[in-house]
Amino acid sequence: MASHVNRKEYWIIFGVLFALTVLEVGVVYMGIARTPLFVALSGLALVKATCVGLFFMHLKHETSILRRSIAIPMSIPAFYALILIAEGMWRRLPW
Amino acid sequence: MSTTAVSAKEAVSKHGAAHHGAHGHGHDMQGDEHEHWPPDAQFGSASLGKIGMWFFLCSDALSFGGLLLGYGILRGQSTQWHHPGEPELGINFTAGLTFLLICSSVTMVLAHAAAVENKRKEMLLFLGLTVLGGALFLVGQFKEYFGIGGPGLIDEGLVFGHSAYASTFYLITSFHGCHVLTGVIYLSVIFIRALLGQFEGGKHNHIEIAGLFWHFVDLVWIIVFTFVYLVPSTPS
Repeated sequence: MASHVNRKEYWIIFGVLFALTVLEVGVVYMGIARTPLFVALSGLALVKATCVGLFFMHLKHETSILRRSIAIPMSIPAFYALILIAEGMWRRLPW
Repeated sequence: MSTTAVSAKEAVSKHGAAHHGAHGHGHDMQGDEHEHWPPDAQFGSASLGKIGMWFFLCSDALSFGGLLLGYGILRGQSTQWHHPGEPELGINFTAGLTFLLICSSVTMVLAHAAAVENKRKEMLLFLGLTVLGGALFLVGQFKEYFGIGGPGLIDEGLVFGHSAYASTFYLITSFHGCHVLTGVIYLSVIFIRALLGQFEGGKHNHIEIAGLFWHFVDLVWIIVFTFVYLVPSTPS
């Protein structure tokens, strides 16, 4: 059975996750405008979550059909969120 | 359906062939026989237990997705999210908690690595550290809610049921906290089983499956931390 042990990779990912967490908090304190801040935060969270999934949960080493059958259901809430939250905000606007 | 000769035979000899029929499937995924699960055309060497855990995690992701969606919609259409008298969430403290969970994810993969390489002491050490990290996170969350050596959010006026802000906050973070608690119990059981020598000789499948759950808890927290804590309040 193939064992996917790569300690160096684990520590690199740890460093990346740590750096991105610091960056996330830093970005909040930088005081940039709301919309770019939201986009930056979402992007950083997505990168961090993907790192955990690919390297710590070993999705990198799974077959592509298993990877896809996980990635597709997991991305559905994000699509719902985009549409429904945008709709909620649109209704709030003073038309 | 492709049943392996090895695992089916082992299962049959363990449980008796009487109610198995000729194929013996149904039991061949129990116990540790799936350490020798044969590579499958679609799922590679992923064990059934692992695929099962992924199914569960997908459904769990949808539960969190539902809660976060409700939160996002309520917040997106609100004109005033923070009401007067309600405290801001402590970003620095929870960034520390985030760091703690990331650390415990690292110790989890290291425990799995040690199990693969049959390093018993290292495996026990890192499993223990992972449980400790989870327990510390729970203490941190308790401090955040109720306060240890200082007022907690409840004392400061963030009360469940008083506003959408308070209710969604407590619902999402406590649902995640339940997962951390579950993970700590789950990993404690895995730790005891490792102590009893059940994962000797490179039997790492159960540790990897427990690890999947634990990393998922970390992954969800990354999302919760970003969208519940870091996204700034509506400009008033």
